[in-house]
Amino acid sequence: MKTLTRKQFGYLCMIPTLLIFLIFAIYPVFRTIFLSFFRFRLQTGPVKTFIGLDNYSFMMGDSRFFNALFFTLLFTVLTVAIEVVLGLVFAQLMNLPFKGRGFLRVVVLIPWAIPTIVSGFMWKFMVHDQYGVFNQILFTFGCIDKFIPWLSQDNTARLILILSDIWKTAPYVSLLVLAGLQTIPKALYEAAQIDGAGPIRRYFFITLPLLKPVLATAVLFRLISSFKVFTVIVALTNGGPGYATESLTMYTMRTYFDAGNYGYGSTLATFTLFITCLIALLFTDVIKGKIDGGKRSKL
Amino acid sequence: MREEATLQKILFYLFAVFFIVTIGFPFFWQILNSFKMEKDIFALTWFPRSYTTDNYLKAFTTRPLLSYLGNSFIIAAVATICSLSIGSMAAYAIARTPIKGKTSFLILVMSISLLPPIVIISPIYGIVRTMGLLNSYSGLIIVNVLFTLTIVIWFLTPYLHAVPMELEEAAQIDGASPAQAFGKIVIPLLGPGVFTVGILAFIQIWNEYLFALVLNPIRIKTVTVGLKMYESDNYMPWGTIMAAAVVIVIPLITLVLVLQKRIIGSLMTGGIKE
Repeated sequence: MKTLTRKQFGYLCMIPTLLIFLIFAIYPVFRTIFLSFFRFRLQTGPVKTFIGLDNYSFMMGDSRFFNALFFTLLFTVLTVAIEVVLGLVFAQLMNLPFKGRGFLRVVVLIPWAIPTIVSGFMWKFMVHDQYGVFNQILFTFGCIDKFIPWLSQDNTARLILILSDIWKTAPYVSLLVLAGLQTIPKALYEAAQIDGAGPIRRYFFITLPLLKPVLATAVLFRLISSFKVFTVIVALTNGGPGYATESLTMYTMRTYFDAGNYGYGSTLATFTLFITCLIALLFTDVIKGKIDGGKRSKL
Repeated sequence: MREEATLQKILFYLFAVFFIVTIGFPFFWQILNSFKMEKDIFALTWFPRSYTTDNYLKAFTTRPLLSYLGNSFIIAAVATICSLSIGSMAAYAIARTPIKGKTSFLILVMSISLLPPIVIISPIYGIVRTMGLLNSYSGLIIVNVLFTLTIVIWFLTPYLHAVPMELEEAAQIDGASPAQAFGKIVIPLLGPGVFTVGILAFIQIWNEYLFALVLNPIRIKTVTVGLKMYESDNYMPWGTIMAAAVVIVIPLITLVLVLQKRIIGSLMTGGIKE
């Protein structure tokens, strides 16, 4: 038997991955885009009728869609912004040379490792309107004069969802920032100090600029994962009260699997794809950097 | 200067306390309440006189928690192993063979790792249904392989770059084929990297909810889907839910605490999850 050359063996090694990508990612993406131009409902059987952009023009007039988009954007912007700010502060403090900082890094892993659905239930229990510890603590300290039904009011329900996401993810962001902090050479700070730069100047002129690549990567991944929020909502509010906390993913899921409307569901899914591409385009430098990193030989 | 140091120290420990309390409290509260009787939960008693393990018993008897755990374990373990084998082959091809189209392939991997699952969920549901794999192990395993492959490839490619080429060349001079060199030289050197990324993949699959919900709504439910089953419209058995949640989380927390050094290291070098 003839032995393979390195190149042939290389191609051979790619086949399983490419097959999985092709069948379970590339084909589905195009299938979704394709179906977004059709009327295709479970109730009317397997008949697909080409309707051009009708689904899209329906979407432009669909107030439930705009409501979901508004909430998803609000959730994404607030969670990512707050997580990055907290991540910067936490990382700075975790980097101080005191005993016990190793322990803090382990603590960070707890919310990271807990399944989102579990942390959702933990929060739902804590903010319960009658026997939630959240109400109890606020009441005891006199911050509120009666128990608040957090999840039955639009804005408080949104607030709790955002808080629970921050609880779960800010520690993880701080770990990423910490990794960035540790790559900044100490000599830079010493030189700046000799030149008479105070701690605040040093932070803004050395730390932040050098953290930029790490922050950009973290922001990209966080934006995209916040934008697809679904699981935590299932656990906490199920989209309620009304549709106040229904995210785009949740609305799409319901259009697909509750309403059986595959055509319009595909349109909503295609819209999510479009926004994701927009976010990715804002961060082409990050993506390029990662891809070059994958090609170059460095650890 | 000394004053600044003292101030820093005070600041650090204040922060440490705040950090540990805010992060730890929900988890602590979950564990504490899983041992409380329902009347004490309703009465808002923090530390009741007596505790009970009833909730744990109920968690296993009112719903088939043991089979949820078994299902999640089988799916996560098999998908992790598949993903590692397939992914390490692709990473090897990228890092060490002179194939064409590496950049396009890496762009593809990147795009898939950023792709929101909702975009592909309906066609995947169709494919899995056509294959007759709804409510099975295999369907969910394949989908989880897709979403963990990207992490495996990202993580292992730089790792493979770091294995000296000379080792493999030496093996080939001794008459080994590329496949043999891969099996005998590269795989053993990959050990630690494969192990670490395997843990990350396992955690991600264990925690996955969306596809588990859509593909396996009736049989072979996973823990994340199972947890939602304790809820009913007019009654929330909170003690039982907290107990079930503790059981679901224990394997993960154990894994994370035992392997904390590796996990922190890999997260910090940029193995971004989700």
